[in-house]
Amino acid sequence: MIELKPTPLATVSPGVPKLLQEGYYVRFTEAWPAELSPVRGRFFQIAETNEVPYDVFHTLPTNDYRDVDLSNAASGENLYPENVSTLYEVILGFKPGNYLTQFFIPATEALSRLEAPGMNPSPTSATLRYLGARKPEDSPYEDKRIFMYFVKNVEPTILRVLVDTGIDFEKCVLGFTVNKCRLSHIAAPNAEQLRLAKVIRYYSELRW
Amino acid sequence: MPSLTQTMVAPGLITVFAAERGNAKIIPSLIMVDNVLGAQDAIITVVDRFTTSASNGAAAAVTTANRLGINVSMAACVSMRDELKDMEILGQLELLIGTADANCIVTVAWDFK
Repeated sequence: MIELKPTPLATVSPGVPKLLQEGYYVRFTEAWPAELSPVRGRFFQIAETNEVPYDVFHTLPTNDYRDVDLSNAASGENLYPENVSTLYEVILGFKPGNYLTQFFIPATEALSRLEAPGMNPSPTSATLRYLGARKPEDSPYEDKRIFMYFVKNVEPTILRVLVDTGIDFEKCVLGFTVNKCRLSHIAAPNAEQLRLAKVIRYYSELRW
Repeated sequence: MPSLTQTMVAPGLITVFAAERGNAKIIPSLIMVDNVLGAQDAIITVVDRFTTSASNGAAAAVTTANRLGINVSMAACVSMRDELKDMEILGQLELLIGTADANCIVTVAWDFK
């Protein structure tokens, strides 16, 4: 559901589209919960796409943070779809600055943590603030490398944007491109379609 | 890139050059202070005025920060370009002068990042 794409090690010509395109296949794993039955374990073809850019920005004081909720909650950024037949492929990049971003889904659970006790990201710790945190150079605004996949009613994804020390204030600019994908269900995909499909995993599969 | 020339006689002694753009910082690329006909030395401060978002530790607030100080003597004209290359303005770009002077002319050019 959330992916950080590495810097390319090779280039191909002609180029390959970065985002899902009309005619592409996607498959949701069985790990998606029963409440999300419209997509759980199902196979789809992308019928239509529409790319919508959007910027979220906050100026914050040093050594302080703000949680940015991407969901459609009252205080959220409304970057989740409202229809069950819509998939949002959301890519995220950062404008340069002295800040870090940690990912939480659902709100209280860090996406990136290690197995040792206490190895959870913490904005109040001088060391654990860097655990699992993404810096602007990890996903530049002009070359977005963080991919997120949202369907209707999936749990809120929280970005904890933290201004690091060494600066008085920082303007944190999060650049999103929402690739709206209309899904068309394929009940019995063939082997070739299954091979070509992009697998979309539930967040619990990412946090093992 | 945009630029603007103004005399430093604004009420309250603050002169606004560029309003804040939400999703970008302002990067000044040129400041020229023409004080050739000035009545006194021009003591000018580049001020950054911005509104912070509510954060975990603080409510939203309007804040200012002084980013640069220049003292230009009477009968002098000063141009700064390279000295500005690492300066970032988070919000509104303003100039503040110690004593208002209709003969002190300031030109500022800027870009957005």
